[in-house]
Amino acid sequence: MALFKLMKHTCTLKSLYCVNNAIVSYSQKQELISNITYENASSNSLNETCEDLSSFTPYYPKTFNLAAYINNSELLQNLLHLNVNLSKIEKKPYIAEKVLKLNSETIGNFILFIKDYVDANEIGNFITKNPLILYESLEDLSIRINYLHSKQFSNTEVRRIISKNPYWLMFSTTRIDRRLGYFQNKFNLCGSEVRGLTAKQPRLITYNLHHVITNTFVIKEEMGFEDQELKKLLLDKPKLWMLNQRALLERFKYIHNVMNIPHSIILLCPEVLLSRNFRVKQRHMFLKKLGRDQFDPKKENFVPLKALVEGTDVEFCKKYAKCNVSDFNTFLKTI
Amino acid sequence: MVKFRNAAAAFKALNGLICVYKPACVPIQQIQHTILTNLCRDLNVLPDRPHEKRVEIVGPTNAPMTVKLVPNYADNPLVCGPRYIKEDFRCSWATHLGLFTSGVLLLGINQGTKLTYLINTARLTRAYKIHGQLGKATDTYFWNGKTVEKSTYGHVTREKIDKVVAHMQAAHQKTMFEMSGVHMESQTMFDLAAQGLIRPANNNLPVIYGIKCVYFNSPNITLEIQAINEYDKYLWTIIHDLGVQLKTSAHCTGVQCIRQGKFDLDIALLRKHWQLEYIIDNMDQCRRLMEEHSLILQPKSAILSV
Repeated sequence: MALFKLMKHTCTLKSLYCVNNAIVSYSQKQELISNITYENASSNSLNETCEDLSSFTPYYPKTFNLAAYINNSELLQNLLHLNVNLSKIEKKPYIAEKVLKLNSETIGNFILFIKDYVDANEIGNFITKNPLILYESLEDLSIRINYLHSKQFSNTEVRRIISKNPYWLMFSTTRIDRRLGYFQNKFNLCGSEVRGLTAKQPRLITYNLHHVITNTFVIKEEMGFEDQELKKLLLDKPKLWMLNQRALLERFKYIHNVMNIPHSIILLCPEVLLSRNFRVKQRHMFLKKLGRDQFDPKKENFVPLKALVEGTDVEFCKKYAKCNVSDFNTFLKTI
Repeated sequence: MVKFRNAAAAFKALNGLICVYKPACVPIQQIQHTILTNLCRDLNVLPDRPHEKRVEIVGPTNAPMTVKLVPNYADNPLVCGPRYIKEDFRCSWATHLGLFTSGVLLLGINQGTKLTYLINTARLTRAYKIHGQLGKATDTYFWNGKTVEKSTYGHVTREKIDKVVAHMQAAHQKTMFEMSGVHMESQTMFDLAAQGLIRPANNNLPVIYGIKCVYFNSPNITLEIQAINEYDKYLWTIIHDLGVQLKTSAHCTGVQCIRQGKFDLDIALLRKHWQLEYIIDNMDQCRRLMEEHSLILQPKSAILSV
């Protein structure tokens, strides 16, 4: 700041007016200081200069947004051209600070590396989700990908894992190995099942393990699924292990205790556990009001459990409730 | 349904009152949050204004400089964030509905927050359906409380309920006059009372204008109540009192607001319709309703009109 004040004294008003562009690099600063001392010694500071001062600019002010810097920073512009959402990155200031310190070469190398695993138009999204991956060394990343290949993951599976889970490559091979081992032991999976699970929901492997443990407890002990059923659920809907356990239990309680659906039927249609409770509840209450809540496939007027979660309300009313959607809307205003 | 050409026109149209259907077990704050985030989501996908340009003066300072018009990167939504965010809206509710209450809820958006203030101070009557169950009393008077008492209810008939309910309604008429703010033994009071039902002067005490039993299938009962200044816990206690007076016990299983002033269930927006087009449509309906009944917001006399 003191330097800038000095500059103010020596430059004429006219030249100050033109000050813009680019950041003052260290060498330029040195040059400037020598110039100032020279000028002070020789002439009046109010004299006009005929030097090119376009490379001098004031320091950047402190800011909460990357938008303040983007017009002057080629790096940020490059990131923008990749469709990186900078407004999301700046929500975490310590990450934004790190992003500003990157250089274009690292980004270029990283893109050349990652383009084999992530679609070109998804790269921006990938970096938005996990900008710190640009700080990982490319050797580490290729080691981690080699690890996947060594575990007999096919190329399409590797692509899917990397693109669906931007955080995967942040985990060291020992950590990933330990986690894959955990899932294999805990749920008694064979090699191909572990690979299938990983490719289906790669985020589950790097998910908070404490959360996975509590959800396993909820599904096994509180809901009462057997070990074999647990395994089937995991391979079918791994998302169940990433839900809030309280909401999950509430859904199950409604389906099992209020609707009287046994475990074996829920297992055939586990997506009912993924839908928000009010959706299942209001459709079930409507069917009950109409006297159509018949979920047993061996009797007539059977309504599949899937009907409660899939499709729009119009489809539901036409296909299963056999009435107009306005009747359903009127019913919703009575509960 | 109106189709909007750009987001700015749609945002300008978002000034007024909306009437939504509040589901039970969802707090009002959450409803407010859902509606505002849905509005932002819908506004942000509408066609945006053109990106700003910026003027750059470049070149060496000791030679003639050039003036250029370049795109302003800082104006890109990827850099400065989405065009509309939740904080751009003001939103308030007219009267509070408790967590377990469902039904008509009036929300004001932007300029509409003034209307919600007027509605709140105008003290419109609200009509409720209250569902209760005989035979069990709980410590909170609601289904979520601990059971404190169980009793038989075989002796309760429709006639007995009607009798007790009519008695309760008559007893509440007295509070109506007490709340008018006029001395009870004066000529003014007599003149007021001669005109019929009157509105309360302040919001201290709940005033009930009518109670009716609309459904009875032992042990389930449903009451319909018209009231001003009431709140959810007060309505629960009515069911409890009813149980005591019927020589049994009772607790409340659900409260539903079916009408507030002239706003009833017909125009209330369901949860699946909390989207931009439906909300603007609903705002128009509410505006028309208020134009038809302009006196409900600033009542001139003490006589109960709606």
